[in-house]
This record gives sequence, C-alpha cells and structure tokens, in this order.
Amino acid sequence: MFFRMIRGALTRQRGKMLMIALTIALGASLATAMLNVMLDVGDKVNQELKTYGANITVVPKAASVLNNLYEVEGGETTEGAYLREDELGNIKTIFWAFNIVDFSPFIDTEVSLPGGGTATMVGTWFNHYLSLPTGETLYTGVQNLRTWWDIEEGQWLDEVADGADTCMVGAALAKANGIHAGDVIRVNGRYADANLRVVGVYDSGDDADEQIYAPMEIVQELSNTDGYLTSIEVSAITTPDNELAIKAAKDPKSLSVSQYETWYCTAYVSSICYQIQEVITDSVASPVRKVADSEGAILEKTELLMVLITILALVGSGLGISNLVTASVMERSNEIGLLKAIGAPDRSITAVVLTEIVLTGIAGAVVGYFVGFGFAQIIGHSVFGSSIEMKAMVIPLVGVLVVVVTLLGSIPAVRTLLRLDPTVVLHGR
Amino acid sequence: MSLLELKNVSKIYGDLHALDNVSLKVDTGEWVAIMGPSGSGKSTMMNIIGCMDKPSKGEVLLDGVDISKESAKSLTRIRRDKIGLIFQQFHLVNYLTAVENVMVSQYYHSMPDEKEAMQALERVGLADRAKHLPSQLSGGEQQRVCIARALINYPELLLADEPTGNLDEANENIVLDIFSQLHKEGTTLVVVTHDPEVAEVAQRTITLGHGKIMKDMINENFGR
Amino acid sequence: MTKRKMFFRMITASLIRRRSRMLVALLAIAVGATILSGLVTIYYDVPRQMGAAFRNYGANMILLPDAGNGAFNSQTVDEALSLIAADQIVGVAPYRYETVAINEQPILVAGTDMAGAKAASPYWFINGTWPENENELLLGQEVAQILSAGEGDTLTMVYTLSEADEDNPVSQTSEQRFKVVGVLETGGSEEEYVYISMADLEKLTQPAGELDVVELSISASQSELEGYTQTISDRVDGALAKLVKRVTQSESTVLTKLQSLVLLVTIIVLALTMICVATTMTAVVTERRKEIGLRKALGASDASIIWEFMGEGLLLGGVGGLLGAGLGFAFAQAVSVNVFSSSIAFRPLLLPITVIVSILVTGLACILPVRSATEIDPALVLKGE
Repeated sequence: MFFRMIRGALTRQRGKMLMIALTIALGASLATAMLNVMLDVGDKVNQELKTYGANITVVPKAASVLNNLYEVEGGETTEGAYLREDELGNIKTIFWAFNIVDFSPFIDTEVSLPGGGTATMVGTWFNHYLSLPTGETLYTGVQNLRTWWDIEEGQWLDEVADGADTCMVGAALAKANGIHAGDVIRVNGRYADANLRVVGVYDSGDDADEQIYAPMEIVQELSNTDGYLTSIEVSAITTPDNELAIKAAKDPKSLSVSQYETWYCTAYVSSICYQIQEVITDSVASPVRKVADSEGAILEKTELLMVLITILALVGSGLGISNLVTASVMERSNEIGLLKAIGAPDRSITAVVLTEIVLTGIAGAVVGYFVGFGFAQIIGHSVFGSSIEMKAMVIPLVGVLVVVVTLLGSIPAVRTLLRLDPTVVLHGR
Repeated sequence: MSLLELKNVSKIYGDLHALDNVSLKVDTGEWVAIMGPSGSGKSTMMNIIGCMDKPSKGEVLLDGVDISKESAKSLTRIRRDKIGLIFQQFHLVNYLTAVENVMVSQYYHSMPDEKEAMQALERVGLADRAKHLPSQLSGGEQQRVCIARALINYPELLLADEPTGNLDEANENIVLDIFSQLHKEGTTLVVVTHDPEVAEVAQRTITLGHGKIMKDMINENFGR
Repeated sequence: MTKRKMFFRMITASLIRRRSRMLVALLAIAVGATILSGLVTIYYDVPRQMGAAFRNYGANMILLPDAGNGAFNSQTVDEALSLIAADQIVGVAPYRYETVAINEQPILVAGTDMAGAKAASPYWFINGTWPENENELLLGQEVAQILSAGEGDTLTMVYTLSEADEDNPVSQTSEQRFKVVGVLETGGSEEEYVYISMADLEKLTQPAGELDVVELSISASQSELEGYTQTISDRVDGALAKLVKRVTQSESTVLTKLQSLVLLVTIIVLALTMICVATTMTAVVTERRKEIGLRKALGASDASIIWEFMGEGLLLGGVGGLLGAGLGFAFAQAVSVNVFSSSIAFRPLLLPITVIVSILVTGLACILPVRSATEIDPALVLKGE
C-alpha cells in the first residue's frame, strides 16, 4: 500500500512532481557543472599559463657564469662547462615526465655579419620531433616557449620543411642590417661560415630582438660544439609551492624520509628541478622565479575564486531546491490532514511524503548531473578549447547535496503539518 | 415579465445528458429552491444560470438577454453586474478580512466603498467581525460574509449553491432568516440544495432527476 | 476609496498575511538576485583584481634613454610617471649599471631604488634581507658563487673614475666598503648583478650619471599600456617607453581566458538560477488557482486578475531584487577580501539592473501560470474541494 500511495502520488501529481524534479535537476546541474569546472580549473589555467614560457632553466654546473661574464668562448669543450645533447631525452623520463609540457635546448655563439657587426646567434629547436625511449613522440621547441613573439615578416621556422641552413632574425637586428624574410645572409662564426636563408623576422620585445635564432646543428657547427648545449629551458605544469617545497628547495637532505617522499612525488617546481638534475649530468636546474612564483599566485587565486563561486552556486541551488520542496509540501496540508484523520500514524505519513520527494529528487539529480556535465564541457571547450575531465567525486557530492537539501526542505514542513489539527486542515481554515 | 427563462436547455457531456431539454421560468422577486439527488443536473443548471457555463442546446434568457450566445468575456460582465453567488465552501479569499472580501466584489463591479461594505456586513449581523480573517470566523460567519459579498452590488439574481451544506442547524437558521429577509425586500433567490428543510422554506421547489424537471410545485406553507 | 487603493490593499494583504508563502517566493528571488549581482560584480572586478596578481610577473613596461633627445634621469622618469594614472602604478625601479672591481674581478653593479625594485619585481627571492641602510648590498646568486661571498661578508668595491693615460700616470679610483645583507635568487639574469642603492652608487661614481633603464609595473590592460608607451615616447624628451612583450602579451592571453571563464560561469549560473526562481514563482502562483477561479466567478476580468497577480509578483521582484543586490555585493566583497585581499568598488548601476532583472524574471514567471489559470472554468475550480 505504501508503494501504491507513492506511485499514485508520483503518477497522478505528475505536473507538480515534474516541477520539483525540474528544479532539482536545475540545481543539480548547476552543482555538477560548477564542481567539475572547479576541480579542473587548476589544470586548465596551468596550461594557459604556459604562454609565459619556461619556468625552469637548466645550465651546466660549472661554467655558465664564466662564459657570460668573461666571454670565454668554448673552444675546447671542458667537462662540466656544457650540457650533453644526448641526454636531452632523459627529461621526459623523470617521475613527473608527464608534467613536462615543452622543453628546448640552447647553444649560443657570437657571429659576425657581412655588414661588419656582430650578433649573438642562438641554436635551438623550433618544432623538433622527438621520439622517446618510452615510445612516446612529441613536437617541442621554442615555437611553444616563445608564444609572445610576433612574426613581423615570413613565418615560424619549420625544421623539417626549411632544413638546416635557415634562421630567424630579431626585428631590431634585421632593421639595423636591412635584413628581410627570404634573404640569404652570410654569417661568420669562429670555426666556420654559413649561408642562411631568413625564414622569418620576429619582434620579441626583449634581448632576442638583437639576436639570430637558428637550428641547433648549424650553431654547433659554427662554434665547434657538436653534441653540446649551454642551457635547456623547460616548461612544466607545477603545483604551487608550500612550506615543505620551500624547505626542500633549500636542501632536500633536510627532509625526513616521509617528507622527502611527499615532496618528490608532488609536482613542486623544486622537486621537478631536482629530478631533472638527476638525469642530466653536471647540471643545475633552477626555477625561473618570475614565472614559477606568478603561476603559483595566479593559480591559487583562480582556484579560490572558483571555489567561492561554486559555494555561492551550491548555496543558491540548495536554497532554491529546499524552498520549492517546502512550498510543495505545505501545499499538501489537506492530504496530510486527511491521512491523519483516517488514523495514519505520523511516521508513515512522513515516510510516504519523504520517499516521494526523495525519489523525485533522485530522478531530477540524475538528469541534472548529465545536463551539468554538458555545461561543464561547454565551459571547457569555449574557454580552454579542451574537455573538462569527469571527476568521479562529483557524483556522490551532488547526490548527497540533493538528498540533504530535499530532506532539509521537506522535514520541517512535514513536521509543521503533522502538528496541525486534522479538522482544522480539512476545513481549510 | 420573468427575470430568468430557460427554453429547451440541454447540456451534454459525451453520452451523458446532464440537462435534458429543460424549460423553466423564474419571475422577479421569486424564491426558488432547486432540489435533486447527486447527478440530477443541479450543479449544471446552477453553472448555466450563474453564467459560468453554456448550454449545449437551447436558450437562457436573463433579464431578456440570451446569455447562451454570449462570449466568455461578456458572460463575466453579466455575472458581475446581475448575479450574486453563494457557495457551499464559502470561497473567501483567505488573506483578506471579512470587509475586504466584500470589497473585492465591489472592486470588480465598480468602486470599492468600505462604508457600504460595512453596512452589508451589519445586515448579516457581522459588523463586529469585519476586521477578522476567514480563518478566525466560524463556518456560519464565513457564509454570512459570502452573502454580504453577494449582496453588495444589488444583484438582480442571488444564486446560492448548497448554502447551508457546511453549516450546523443554528447557522443554517440564521442564513435562512437572511434569505427570507432578502425575499421580503424583493430579491430574486435561486437556491440549489439537496436539503428538504432548506427547500421547504422557499416559495417554489423544483425537483430535478436525470437532467429533467420531475416536479415543480408552489410551497403552500410559504410565508408561515 | 479608489480602485487603485483597493488594488494595493489587496496586494499588500496578500503579501503580508500569506507570510510563509511569500517568504518562500521572496527567498527564491533574493537568492537569484544575490547570485546575479554578486557574480556580475565579480565578473567586472576580475580583470582588475587578477591584474594585480599578474603583477607578480614583474615589470611590464620599461623606459629607455632616447639617445640625443635629452637627459634620462629621475626628472625624466617623474615626467613620464605623471602621464600614468597614479593608482595603476604598482612599482617603479630605476636602474643604472656600472662595472666595478670586487676582489680584482670585474663585476656589474646596479644602482636602484630598493623599495621600487621590491614592488616592481615581487618574484625576487632574497636569502637574507633587503638592503635598508647605507653601504649595504644585495648579491646576485651567480656573483655570490664567483666571489664565494655570502650574507654578512664585507666587500670592497673599486670604481675607476678615469683610466691612466699620458697626463695622469695613475688611474683615479674611488672605493667603498659594503656589507652583504642578502643574496638574490631569481633563476634569471638578475643573478649576475650586485645591487646597491642609487645614493651609494652616486657616492662611488661621484658625478650623478644617467639612468640606463627604468622598470615599471603597471596594473592596466594591454590597450591602456600601449597608449601609455605612445604618449610617453611622444611627450617626454629623453625617454622611450617599451612594453615587455613576454609579460603583457601573455597576461592579456591568460586574463582573457580567465575573464571568459568567469563570464561563462556567470551566464550558466544565472540562467539556471533564474529558471529556478521562475519555477518557484510558478509553483507559488499555481497554488492559487482556486482563488483565481473565485475572482473570476465574482466577475473579475482576465486582465484585472493578471494585473493583480503581476502587481504582487513585481512588488516581490522589486523587494527581492533590492535584498539580493545588497547581499550580492556583500558576497562579492567577501570574495574579493578572501581571494584578492582588497575591497571591491560598489557599482551603482548594478542596483537598478538587479532590481529590473528580478522584476522581469518574476513577472515572466507569474504571467504564464496566471494566464493559464484565467483560462480555466471558474465553476470547475469552485466545485472541487
């Protein structure tokens, strides 16, 4: 009989129950969408922040300083003054390899131009195809690490299509020397000369405007440093630093075993640096504070903002649902009065009403979950151009929210109605 | 001239003839009770007379106007201007006080006038309850507010549907006394009831059965 | 009593005496309005607030000397700064570079305004403290390695005032002792310099020299920044303004995404909330079908019934909207204080907008069920218990 009453209520009061289900579905979809977006926003914004370029630089342990300050040109490749090219792939084998979004090696040398001036020539990867020992393949290079460059003439250098004897020239240098895209310039290095075709002229707004960027092998040839590098820039997705990370960054040995484990297995910029040092011989990997710190601050703020908006949305939808449920229970004063009048115990009346509402609520929540997930995808695709990951923990969260909120909305109302005298209710006074 | 005239009126729902070719005349100032068991067509007749429904066939003349041909909109107007309605369940607006409920009727008819509304309540003996909400009034008092509301616009026809159905005997007598007072003042009354005691005090009793008029008799004891 | 008075009397009676139901409706509207005004306030404030967070990236504009076009000194800088809205300037750090000798090694020293550098480059990580007193210096990490010096050491800087030549066989030098109070870590080229205050540098080099570069951190949109560089380059003699593209370009990319994220979230939350408000209002009105039937039976025209219910709805919408506008601002304020630790500006325009939207949504939500209720037969409504 219990189920018959419930079935009766659900089918015969279809319009009203649909209305409640609709409201619950709306609330649930709101909660689902916001929770999914909130949980994924960190990763997404982190991806976006990669436009700032590398957040880790790797340099040789010994000699970079001497190189820069005393302009000691690497003739003889002393051990420790350079990084080894054949170890580059190792970067994608560290524990946090998956978080390494892009990386690119650099080697630079002084060259003189036909006009008589000199310029720094930087050898690097542009869009380098990399086949890793793990079987993974990727394209990486400065094209991804210098997103702020404006190409003023020509286009980005394509390593495969354009070949090795090519380069890109900074806008200031190009202007000073009358170089244009398509020109072939002759550069004289210390050990060799080369004729390079200018594929593009870029405006970077920094020192690179005075430089020439060319594929790595040609610069190594000009400076006789085949197989060696001066630095590596790495762009990694990191977790904002906390106290543990700061302590570890100073000295990983100061950590206890369990702290060390936690630190090593969290994508802090310091632990990624540490792991890079482990796989690149004689290297020092350090965070580019400008980028790493700012990423942390922005991520934290964005996440907190989304959390607060989500809370507002949850409270709003919660109030909306419990409000409507209260209204719809109050409306049934007659029915409840009648049930009381014919001798139904309070407990069974409560059970009938609550079961109906919760069943309706669950139906609404299921629909709402999928609709909300759709909304999350709309946000993901239109803002970040990628899907929002489906987080399993959202399902119980939304379920609990809906059940709690419908019960909170209906129990006080049912109790109020039960306290009323059935005759009063039935006479509509 | 008769105030209300039904000519061969039928109301058909599918196969059911709720009213089957009924003809009836009610003169101005008459007090008519319409009786009959459930399903006899009482309510249908009441709705048609009260301009809340239209007959499937036949003519209904109210004050010489054939209301069976009127649009819903003008039926609303006719109802407002010529008919006062009293219901079994009173149907007061539960958040308005007694006097405000009376004024609602004035409001839709012409101009709300609190003084006049108070006079109407006085007439039904409720002057001291004017500021009470329906929930604070007894059933009898609520019905009297209903009557005051029905009277406030001086309708040509007072139409009551089971006016004493929800009342105890004492209150029933009060309501019937008011009806008799109204009758003396010349108001035309049509009372739909299944209660023989209520029918007895009327001037004329029409008994319906299966959608037809079974009996139409003048109450000989009327006025005693 | 006029008809209008009765109209309001009925509406207010309905709102006041049906208290619990009206509270339900009012609550729904207020929640909707709170979300509306709160989110819209946040949406408009995000670029400003986030912009401040983005200033962590350091300078987004630099001033360079415009050779042969006048002096480039602190007056030039002040002149340039006067062209920028004062509340947008986050930090200004002037730099003057000189080569000095420390322990016989050539080292690049930068004179700057320490407070300005701290504000313009919040990402600088100092092991030790910032120099505050005379003759204190900040050592770049790499220089510290070369010199094998650290916090607490004392270094002597030697500056060559004039090289030895035929007239003066001995080169003129000036010397100054400095205490190392901090070592600077940035992971960038800043680590290759030694930093001292501008006053100390001028003491060392004796004649006041010109600045080499001024770093500016300005909290403004990309287009505003472009405007500033243009006006400064045009109007200030001796200075050339340039944007630090890496920072400005990336900031505008990320900020645009963030703002569109908040916009989309706002739209979806608002749309769903408004539908929620509408269903609640619909439920509240549907409940009153019987009353509508009664009013019809008493001779009310459809139009007057619709107006009465709309009147109630609009009044509720207005009150709920006002309430929500206030609560929403409080929410936005709380968010701003918690997330960005700064307060938010009240947007007066948002108040009428919130109220109007609330009224519209409530009105729309009421009109549909009321209309359908006026279409039903009064007799049916009145007959049923």
